[in-house]
Amino acid sequence: MRSGNAEVKLPRPMRRPLVKMFLRSFLLQASWNFERLQNLGFLFLLLPGLRSIYGEDLSEEILERHREYFNTHPYFAPLVAGAILRLETSLAAGQETQVDVGEFKKMVMAPLAAIGDSLFWGGIRPLAAIIALFLASRGSLWAPVAFLLLFNLPHLVCRGAGLVFGYFWGLRAIETIQRFRLPDVSVRCKEISIILLGVICAYLAHKGCIHQELSPLWGLALLPVVLLFAHSARKGISSLFLILVTSASLLGLALLF
Amino acid sequence: MTATDFILAGLVAVGAGLDRVAFLQSMFSRPIVVAPLTGWLLGDPMVGLEIGILLELLWLGRLPVGASIPPDDTQVAIGATVLSLSMESLLGMSGMPVVILCVMAAIPLGKFGQVFDRLARHANGLVLKRNKAFSSGSPRKLERLHLACLLHFALAGLATFGVIVGGGTVLLYYLAPVLIGAVREAGLSLQYSFTLVGAAVLLGLINISRGVSLFSAAFAGTLLVLWVR
Repeated sequence: MRSGNAEVKLPRPMRRPLVKMFLRSFLLQASWNFERLQNLGFLFLLLPGLRSIYGEDLSEEILERHREYFNTHPYFAPLVAGAILRLETSLAAGQETQVDVGEFKKMVMAPLAAIGDSLFWGGIRPLAAIIALFLASRGSLWAPVAFLLLFNLPHLVCRGAGLVFGYFWGLRAIETIQRFRLPDVSVRCKEISIILLGVICAYLAHKGCIHQELSPLWGLALLPVVLLFAHSARKGISSLFLILVTSASLLGLALLF
Repeated sequence: MTATDFILAGLVAVGAGLDRVAFLQSMFSRPIVVAPLTGWLLGDPMVGLEIGILLELLWLGRLPVGASIPPDDTQVAIGATVLSLSMESLLGMSGMPVVILCVMAAIPLGKFGQVFDRLARHANGLVLKRNKAFSSGSPRKLERLHLACLLHFALAGLATFGVIVGGGTVLLYYLAPVLIGAVREAGLSLQYSFTLVGAAVLLGLINISRGVSLFSAAFAGTLLVLWVR
C-alpha cells in the first residue's frame, strides 16, 4: 500500500490489534446511551490498539481522553479509530501532532456521521431493499440473500478499509474520503431507488388492474394518490397513521360493497 | 406451533433486536430478511417472505440517526410471522388474508418497541453513571461493563416480541373471525396497499431534487410498457 511516495507495510505487531479492532467495531453501540452516545463503545473499540502502543497498564489520562462524548456513523467509526491510533502512536513516540485527539474526534465525527447516514441509511439500504423486493415479489427466497449481499459488501469494505486507511494515513484519511465524493454516490443511489420504486408501484398497479379486469391504464389513477401520501409523509404524517387509514378505508369499502 | 417454535422465534427476536443497534448492524434485522428467516425456522419461509414484502418499505425511510429511534419493524416482522403461523392451530385459519390480518395487528403493537428501546438506552446511561468502573475503572472492567449493556437491548427486543405475540394473539382471537371476511373481500388491493403506502412514505422521505419527476416518469413509463405488451 502506498502513502504519499513511501511504500507502507502493516507493521507485524499492529496486525493483531487491528483485526481485534475490526471485530470490536461490530460492538461499537452495545452501550449506546443518551448522555454520551457511543463514547464507551469507541473506547472499547480502541483498547486493543491502545494496549499495543502503551502496554496493559493504560494511564487514567489516556482513558479519560477517550471517555468523552462521541458519536458518528457506526460504519465510519473504524476509520476514525484508525486515524486516532496513528495519532496515539505519534504521541507515544514523543512526536508533535497537528491536532490533539479530542479536537480530531470533534472535527470529524459529525461530518462522517452525515456522510454515513446519507450514504448507507439513505442511499444503499433503500436501493438494496427495493432490489430485494423485486425478487421477493416474484416469490424468490433469494431476496433476503440478495439484500444482505448488496448492503453488506460496501458496509464491510467501509469498516475494514476505513480502519486500515485511517491507521496508515492518519489525519489525511479524512481528506482522502472527500475525494471519493460519497455524497454524490449517495444521491445516485437515491435516484436509482426512486426510479425502481416507480417501476415496482406501476407493476403492482398493473397486476391489481388485471385482477379487477380493468384496463391497466386505470393504474395511472394511483399516481396522484401515491404522490399525495408522499407529500403527507414529508409533512410529518406517520407511516402507521397512513397504513391504518388506508387499511380501514379498504376494509370499509369491502364491507359496504 | 410448539413451545420449541416459540423459543426459536424468541431467539431470533433477541438476535435481530441486537442487530438493529447494539451488535453487527448487518441489517439481518430488516423485515425482508428476518421474516423469511423466522418463517423458515418455523417451517414456512413463504409466509415470512410475504410479511417481509408487506413491511419492508413502511419504515425504511426512518433513519436511525443520533438519538432518534425508528419504529421496531424487526419485531413487527417476527411477531407477525409467528402470529400467522399460529393462527392455523388457534383459529383454523391460514392463507394471505390471515397474513394481512396478523400484520395489521402487529403494526400498532410495534410502537411498544420504541418504548422498550428508549428504556434500554436509558438503562445503559444509568448503569454507566452509577458504576464506578466507568469513571475510574480498569480497561478490563470497562470492557465488561460495555458488553453487559448488550443485555438491555436483548431484553428490549424480547419484550417487544412478547407484547406483539401476546397482544396480537388476544386481538386476533376476538377480531379475526369478525374481520376475515372483509379482508378476503378487499383481497389484493389491501395486500398491495402496504407496499404502495411504504413506497409513498419512502418517496416522501428520500430528500432529492427531481424525486417526484423521476418517480412519476418511471411509474407512467412502466405502466405504459406493461399495457402495450
